[in-house]
Amino acid sequence: MRDGAIFAKAGLPSIAIVTEAFVELAAFTAEAVGMPAVPRYVLPHPCSGTGDENLARVAREAAPGIIDLLEGRTR
Amino acid sequence: MNLRSTRHQAPDEATALELFHLREWTDGLPVVIPTEERVGDLLAGVELEPDVVIGEIGPGQATVEKIAINAVMAGCRPEHFPVVLAAVRAVTDPEFDIDNMQSTTHGMGPVIIVNGPARDVCGPIASGWGALGPGHRANASIGRALRLCLMNIGGARPGHGDMAALGQPGKFTCCLAEDEEGSPFPPLHTSFGYDSEQSAVTLVGVDAPHSVMMQTNDDDPEAHERILRVVAGAIAIPGANNTQIGNGPVIVVLNPVHAGVLASAGLTRDDVVERLVELAVTPNATMLGWATKRAFRDDNAHLPALRGPEDLVLIVAGGGGMYSAVFSGGLAGSTHPVHAPIDFDFSCELPRVPAP
Repeated sequence: MRDGAIFAKAGLPSIAIVTEAFVELAAFTAEAVGMPAVPRYVLPHPCSGTGDENLARVAREAAPGIIDLLEGRTR
Repeated sequence: MNLRSTRHQAPDEATALELFHLREWTDGLPVVIPTEERVGDLLAGVELEPDVVIGEIGPGQATVEKIAINAVMAGCRPEHFPVVLAAVRAVTDPEFDIDNMQSTTHGMGPVIIVNGPARDVCGPIASGWGALGPGHRANASIGRALRLCLMNIGGARPGHGDMAALGQPGKFTCCLAEDEEGSPFPPLHTSFGYDSEQSAVTLVGVDAPHSVMMQTNDDDPEAHERILRVVAGAIAIPGANNTQIGNGPVIVVLNPVHAGVLASAGLTRDDVVERLVELAVTPNATMLGWATKRAFRDDNAHLPALRGPEDLVLIVAGGGGMYSAVFSGGLAGSTHPVHAPIDFDFSCELPRVPAP
């Protein structure tokens, strides 16, 4: 989240990607850095350690939504 | 005294305590209710105005007033308060990276090490028998005050502001003094440029302590090297972040007996630290067997647990015997040991000091 806020403050399009377990922390951190609206995309939890095949599937499913956020089609 | 915090009303202290638990303002244990008078008692012992900002923790500003409220809740007396202020100043140093520590899944937290005359004047802060355990009011209250600041000012609640997967008991409180009198080495804070007559806190973000047993023998000419090897082994254990990811600071608490053996062998503090950095490594072949993130090289390298001497904080404490301790590191290099001076001037009488 902090990286996303740093990029956003630098004027670079950015999306913070978090897993479900970290949604509350993400909101808290975004608030703490003074950018409560930093765009974020939520992945299932856990992702790490779930194997290449699953990670590829998660990435395939998430990519269109992340691109939509980056291009401003969704919020 | 002009305090800005919101006043809450309750018919009695028992009800007030339930309110504190209900609002999630405690660490799970009962707290001392921070009445205006009690907070005023702590503030009377320092020269700072209540609205002075010591630092920022996440979304919260750690003002002197807010820190005093949490210190009262933790059970601090007025003489403890300058150490709490110094500890908050240290953790809000960007080098410490407290926001990262608050949100990591690793169960780490700050350890407060106290050096100089404040060990007595602002305590007594224990450095001897059981210094890391229960039974020492100043140690327990000062460490707990910092934790309550991290929770109540910094918003570190389990599962959202604080994402530690398990946490560890040292996150309730962890503060000790260095046994400067029992140590053969100069006090820790003098390595950072303080005079030995000054007082300072050193804060290190680490995992739980790991006991290190070593029965020394005066007839053993290699005793010093054996101590170093067993301590280094405790730094480079398989499950430690430092072994698997590397680059976090660690604390080595040497028992006075172990420290004495090392000093008798002619080793200085710097010599001990350098040798431990050298010894705290894991063969890459072993790492490959553990399939960790660092096990992608196939050479015969030994992977170091520490970047260098700056990542090993070595102090002397504990009752004399055969047990030292190692606090493992974490956060893969984003946190560094920090220090801050303890400013106290109790020339005026401290409020409400009970007769012995």
